[in-house]
Amino acid sequence: MRCALSRPDIVLAIDTSAAHCAAALLFGTHEPGRKETLRIVSRSEDMAKGQAERLPGLVDAVLRDGQVNLADITLLAVGVGPGNFTGIRIAVAYMRGLALGLGVPAKGVTTFEAVAMHSGAKPFPYWVVMDAPRAEIYAQRFPQGKACILTSSVQESLDAPVLHRNELGPDALVRAIAEHAYHTPTDARSRPAPFYLRAADAAPSSDPPPVILS
Amino acid sequence: MTQALTFLGLESSCDDTAAAVVRHLPGTAPEILSSVVIGQTDLHAAFGGVVPEIAARAHAEKLDHAVEAALANSGLGLRDLDGIAVTAGPGLIGGVLSGVMLAKGLSAATGLPLVGVNHLAGHALTPRLTDSLPFPYLMLLVSGGHCQFLVAKAADHFVRLGGTIDDAPGEAFDKTAKLLGLAQPGGPAVEREAALGDAKRFAFPRPLLNQPGCDMSFSGLKTALLRARDALIAEKGGITIQDRRDLCAGFQAAVTDVLVEKTRRAINLYRDLAPNDPALAVAGGVAANQAIRGRLTALCAASGLHFVAPPLALCTDNAAMIAWAGIERFRAGHQNDFTLVARPRWPLDATAQPMIGSGKKGAKA
Repeated sequence: MRCALSRPDIVLAIDTSAAHCAAALLFGTHEPGRKETLRIVSRSEDMAKGQAERLPGLVDAVLRDGQVNLADITLLAVGVGPGNFTGIRIAVAYMRGLALGLGVPAKGVTTFEAVAMHSGAKPFPYWVVMDAPRAEIYAQRFPQGKACILTSSVQESLDAPVLHRNELGPDALVRAIAEHAYHTPTDARSRPAPFYLRAADAAPSSDPPPVILS
Repeated sequence: MTQALTFLGLESSCDDTAAAVVRHLPGTAPEILSSVVIGQTDLHAAFGGVVPEIAARAHAEKLDHAVEAALANSGLGLRDLDGIAVTAGPGLIGGVLSGVMLAKGLSAATGLPLVGVNHLAGHALTPRLTDSLPFPYLMLLVSGGHCQFLVAKAADHFVRLGGTIDDAPGEAFDKTAKLLGLAQPGGPAVEREAALGDAKRFAFPRPLLNQPGCDMSFSGLKTALLRARDALIAEKGGITIQDRRDLCAGFQAAVTDVLVEKTRRAINLYRDLAPNDPALAVAGGVAANQAIRGRLTALCAASGLHFVAPPLALCTDNAAMIAWAGIERFRAGHQNDFTLVARPRWPLDATAQPMIGSGKKGAKA
């Protein structure tokens, strides 16, 4: 489908998975047989809270930078984490609303995929890692490993070079999210979902019910 | 404004993911074109209560499906709507945020006006959706998360006469069910057992009945029930089916007595407004309890008030009430931009004395 497009793809990407609010626009050309030069514009702001109130305005600003309207967007991309649970829900919910309203597909991109995208032609294998709470790290081995939680100390003894998520600022992260979405096949039916990696913190009820005497 | 308005409503402040489409032409009764509620009871069953993070996760991934289903059921598309109303609080913040962000995305994509709605206003305006009740009316909102008396004076003007200073009755019903090994949600289970029990066997307290005013307290009642249960267990190693029925009956009678007496006082305060056509409306899941409803109906009959109880599906959390409250607010000139804030705490009557959690974050409800 993508190759047949007569007009360029315009990807809107957002990320609020950490203490920032970030948005990017990617202009693709899809000209067969030619090496593509992608134009990407982006904006980001550092913020510990308030992403939910700021995100729509930041998206407007990046649309103005790119001189397009929401109606021109052909693909939506959202950073799904891992990261701050509330942050990734903010971005995912906003994107699902945009996708439904615009009638265009939305794609979730994990932080690992974005970091790998950003690293470009770095030879496999390598690990992408990021800090996690409780002296742990989130990690994924590329090209084919599954994302997992490891204790921080094993980071020293991983079996391949390590890319750390902190090497990317918010702009680089959201640009990589846009690029990753642009370069991977789109399933119009799939919807972006938060990538938590950690189960919800909840303990089953501990009080046993009373014995019922007959 | 006399034109017909059709609004989409979104609700995600507790453990129900809901979307609905409501249309209203002034001078006619509002029409609920669709109302979809996706519950989460199964997700929370193992934990003995609603787990906020589990609820937030479910809302974020179900809301857009609920919207699509509501639109499909209404036979309308987004272009047929005049606005989007969303619960912006009070409630579990993760779920409220998911709803608010989805609504912002939909609004940005479609250009439709966005209206943030107080969840409690949704409940409090439901009697106008179902029965076109004129202002001012007295409202008893009694659910798993809330319990308060309000006088609804206008779509954006509510006066709180009193409310619980701690737990909500629905929460006490759930806790009672849990303590007695009954299924969740506890309201229907406790009501069924209570119907077969002797309400006089256990003497449970009627908290705050000796205090003037309309404030209530239910946390001590839970403790009293726990003590009565544990005394039985200490005596014979467990409780019998009949013990359980009697405990339920005693508990329900205490809750009912408190609600009815406080409602009687609230009616007196409401009467000072000299309403032309006085009415008491109820909302919330606890209002479905037949014993409570029966006593309130009798009280209203004796006091010369209409008793208005919306159908159960519109008493418990739903999005039709949010769509309707959005229409009423929009007509009153309210609209929000994309900086609309999701609020865990949001008292409906900002001028009343804070009752719950009046710490540094402000009153809860």
